[in-house]
Amino acid sequence: MSLTPELQQLAILAEIDELVLRVRRWLNDVPAWGPARKARSLVSKILDRVHSLRIRLESPLVVATFGGTGTGKSTLVNALIGQEASESGRQRPTTTMPILLVHPDIETTALGLDLSQFHVKKIDAPMLRDLIIIDCPDPDTSEAAESGSNLARLRSILPHCDVLLYVSTQQKYRSARIAEELSDAASGCRLVFVQTHAEQDSDVREDWRQSLAPEYQVPDMFFVDSRRAFAEQAQRPSGDFGRLLELLTNQLGASRRVAIRRANLMDLLEEALTVCRTDYDSELPEIQKLQEVLDQQRTKLRDTLTNQLRDELLVNQNLWERRLLSAVTNIWGFSPFSAVLRLYNGLGAFIASFSFFRARSSAQMALIGAVQGARWLKSRVEEQEAESSLERLASFGITDQQLQESRMVVSGYVHSAGIDSEEFSDRRDMHQLRRRAATVESQFLGDARRGIDELIEQLAERNCSAMTRYRYEILLLLYLVFLIGRIGHNFFWSSFLAPIVGKADHAEPLLTIDFYIPALIFLMMWSAMLVLSYTWRLRRGLSAEIHKLAQTMVETRILEGLFPSVDHVCQGVIDDDHRLSELLERTSRFRRELAEGVGFLGGQRR
Amino acid sequence: MDEAKQDVLFNHCAATVRSLLPALLQLESEAALLQPVPLVEREWFELLRQKLIPQLGEQAFLVVAVVGGTNIGKSVIFNHLAGSCASATSPLASGTKHATCLVPEGFNAQHDLQSVFPDFELHEWSDASLALEESDTHRLFWRVAKELPPSLLVLDTPDIDSDARVNWVRADAVRRSADVLIAVLTQQKYNDAAVKEFFRKAGDEDKAVLVIFNQCLLPEDEPYWPIWLETFCRETHISPDAVYITPNDRRAAEDLRLPFFERRIPGTNSEDTPPAPDNTPRDLAADLAKLRFREIRMRTLLGSLHELTHPQRGIPAYLRELRLASEDLGRTATRLTTDSVVQVRNWPSPANSILVAEIRQWWHAHQEGWARAINSAYNTVGSGLLWPIRAARRALQGEPVPLMEGYRSREWLAVLGVVEELFDKLQWMADSGNEIIRPRIEAVLQGAARSQLLTLLKQKHDALDFEDELTLIVDQEMQNLQKTKPDLFGMYRQLNNVSAVVRPMTSVVLFSIGFGPAGEMVAPFLGHAAASAVVHVFADVAGGATAAIAGEAAVSSAAGSGAGMLQAWFHRLHSAFTARRASWLTNLVHGELLGALPEELNAAAGLTKSDAFIEVQKSVSKLEGLL
Repeated sequence: MSLTPELQQLAILAEIDELVLRVRRWLNDVPAWGPARKARSLVSKILDRVHSLRIRLESPLVVATFGGTGTGKSTLVNALIGQEASESGRQRPTTTMPILLVHPDIETTALGLDLSQFHVKKIDAPMLRDLIIIDCPDPDTSEAAESGSNLARLRSILPHCDVLLYVSTQQKYRSARIAEELSDAASGCRLVFVQTHAEQDSDVREDWRQSLAPEYQVPDMFFVDSRRAFAEQAQRPSGDFGRLLELLTNQLGASRRVAIRRANLMDLLEEALTVCRTDYDSELPEIQKLQEVLDQQRTKLRDTLTNQLRDELLVNQNLWERRLLSAVTNIWGFSPFSAVLRLYNGLGAFIASFSFFRARSSAQMALIGAVQGARWLKSRVEEQEAESSLERLASFGITDQQLQESRMVVSGYVHSAGIDSEEFSDRRDMHQLRRRAATVESQFLGDARRGIDELIEQLAERNCSAMTRYRYEILLLLYLVFLIGRIGHNFFWSSFLAPIVGKADHAEPLLTIDFYIPALIFLMMWSAMLVLSYTWRLRRGLSAEIHKLAQTMVETRILEGLFPSVDHVCQGVIDDDHRLSELLERTSRFRRELAEGVGFLGGQRR
Repeated sequence: MDEAKQDVLFNHCAATVRSLLPALLQLESEAALLQPVPLVEREWFELLRQKLIPQLGEQAFLVVAVVGGTNIGKSVIFNHLAGSCASATSPLASGTKHATCLVPEGFNAQHDLQSVFPDFELHEWSDASLALEESDTHRLFWRVAKELPPSLLVLDTPDIDSDARVNWVRADAVRRSADVLIAVLTQQKYNDAAVKEFFRKAGDEDKAVLVIFNQCLLPEDEPYWPIWLETFCRETHISPDAVYITPNDRRAAEDLRLPFFERRIPGTNSEDTPPAPDNTPRDLAADLAKLRFREIRMRTLLGSLHELTHPQRGIPAYLRELRLASEDLGRTATRLTTDSVVQVRNWPSPANSILVAEIRQWWHAHQEGWARAINSAYNTVGSGLLWPIRAARRALQGEPVPLMEGYRSREWLAVLGVVEELFDKLQWMADSGNEIIRPRIEAVLQGAARSQLLTLLKQKHDALDFEDELTLIVDQEMQNLQKTKPDLFGMYRQLNNVSAVVRPMTSVVLFSIGFGPAGEMVAPFLGHAAASAVVHVFADVAGGATAAIAGEAAVSSAAGSGAGMLQAWFHRLHSAFTARRASWLTNLVHGELLGALPEELNAAAGLTKSDAFIEVQKSVSKLEGLL
């Protein structure tokens, strides 16, 4: 089912609205980056024009003449409307004040033009029912666009035009100045190409078309003799002039004006976005370089932290032992051997709390683990308030010097990238940088702690299989059973029951302290031996595991670096770049669609 | 002025002008850093090269060029002059790409055509269509024309306003060489900006101009051409020597029988009623032959010389521009080279204990006789006694960081501070300063350059042996003290000797009150106040190793006049050391960061004093004097 023309129009309108909405959203989300801001200010100016275009979407098209002085712009206009409306002459330049030719029925105020700049003439000509014609001053008699010059006046009019009637002659069609001016004027305009002075000049349309071809689409060119057409207007116009007249009256009429305006609009939008795109493309490498540098800094920081962590973990073997033992005893619950282990561990912790081996560094704290570290942490937090974060960082290998070096280097890149970041506005303040570093460190330690916990769990699990456990339990129990058997034998049998039942002559004396002390000593020795052998077992391969842990820490990415706001801006810029590309692609596609609909008119190539 | 005098004058000028060219080129290469607009883009320089140098002192011929916008019939008019179709015509615009030159018979025997047109590649004419071919080189096709008056070179030129800009360059080159311009104008183009610009330059050079209004509608345009002419002359400051109008008659043009009607130039006084237009066609070539050659020649040469020495458009303006740029650069250069760029603040001082140890060593090396023997014996005993305590401390607190390493890291922090401040300052200079310097400074401030500099500084800083530095300074300052304050030095020496005598006693006393072995332990824990109360600076001399540790605190307390003086001297030592370190940094930064920039800047800033500048200046004032 094909859409009715009206529905088609509405669909296109909806698509434009959608596109404009996207562009607006893009406009409101500006990363703190020079080119991005520049792009916004450019595109927002275009959007303003979109707005004014929407208002006058239905008003008659504005057709303006464009061409060098003496090419017969005014003569052509007169011939077109069939009246002496614009003065033509042999002096150069003839037209200085642009002339606005409008039908008396058309409300001039609704056109969105500054009427004080024009010489307004209300003329009741059939041609003007659907069009407004502006006879423009020339672009080529002024050497500079000073205010009041023809060029300045022309430039102020051109943005309001929908169609340019580009008039040229044999003498002027290759003029450099006009070509330059046209390439500025033609964006957002449809073009109609007319060669005048047919009465005296040769037909140069082919050469003209070739010279235009690289930049413009030239569907048709007209070779007219305006003077004769004016003189013979009573007759039905024929030849090229007739075709031109037909084009202007029929094709630019009410039915096509919306299509033409839209195509112009998309032209403008695409051009603006293309300009932004080029700008972005030339500036983006700096941003990528900055990102690389930020990544490098992050990597460096992480390596420093990891190395420090690994070194500290490697030297703090006793802490590992305690963690591992408590993990194992937790798994085993209560049993003789685990009681021995607990006792050993508790004793060790008790001693350690008096010794120099208290957790002094963050790495040690990470190693102590969350539960054990809680109490220590509490006192530590109080301490931290007083202690400068610098010292804490320094203990982790991050020095002020390093931070400052990072900042200096990064700020160089930030400046070249054109990013405005507040982090670099107040240079002398190391405080914030230290705080950032501390955040990074604690983030890192959080990861480290998780890693350590996992590692300990793993090691503990590996060493608490039933086989291992019962081997130790039995070995311990063997001695205990022997001891209890020995004591029980003495207590129940040899010193009590044996004499009673007559198995012995006399009651043997109860075991004395002389027995108990060595028994206890041997118990302790036996337990110690077992504990030692078990902890040795636990520690086996620990170094390798720590290196492995450090390796995984190296591989994990630090999310936030020292300069999160710069990171953020960079990411914003990259996202912005993608969005711009997407917008541009969408606009281009849409523009091509719309341009096909007005292919009978010329336009700028892209 | 009679002719002989004129010739003498021109010969003088010719000599000066020829010497001007190498001087200017030299000047330009010296001024490269100032990035002035290149000489070849300056009208006066091209005039010098293309007109004055080849033609000055050569009064024998006249160059006539047909010039004008594209597609207005230049070649047609040229062909009328040539009397044949010497240059191809085309209905399409910007057809003529190269110049065609008609040379009178015998010209080549007397003159070198190439030197008259130095920028063109000369080819002998063989076909009219040659001038239509596109090529990168500027070509000039020459052909001997018998019908031409002798001493008259007539040229057809490419256009001056089409989108083929290389045509403009060629037309400009021909214009400069020319003496007479045949300005072909039409009603469409007489007021075009490009045309006006071209002819304004010709007017400034005082060329003789013949105006031809081509493609006129006759007789309708008869009342208009005076208005066109008036506008043209007003805009270009040209007063034409003659005016012709030609009708728009394509067939006549193709058949080379276009009539040229001469018109009287309307005078300023308007009461003068214009005579009836004279409609007898003129022979353009014949009219040219009647020109007063010598007079025109003199006029255009003088015109070009005047342009060369024009205060606003000529060499004086160029010199002024260079001087201003160089002064501006000079100011920046001064700012860059003064020490204010690198400002050393908050430089750390080495710990007093290090200094004391260093002095002790020096003293030890310089003491004599029995005092030396006693003190070294005691020091050996002392360090032997203290060994277990030191070992215990090492075991408990780990290997102590060498004191100088602490200083190294503090100094690095200070270096970073200085460098960062320097970067800020340079950034500010780049943002606010001279356009020429900006890219150079920005290059230094880029992230990669920054990290490179930091790496380099770090390397050099790490490689420094501070012990050596310190020894050097201490030695220097002690020698200094010995020389400048012999009394004080002598007193200390006496004290040293006395202390050597009482050394057994003081050692026992200090040891017994705890400041032998205990000092080692206690001093670091007690902190400054406690230690300084007990351990006096003289105990250092007396007590050996103990005070080396407590020294810092002891020295900083101003106890007694002797110690006060000592303190002052210590400050001196500190500042000597700091100054040495700071100058190390300053030199390094200047060398590594700014590189050769300050020298280059100074050279550019001193441009006005260079030989080339003075030479050009002299030549110009000589020319001015001659004119």
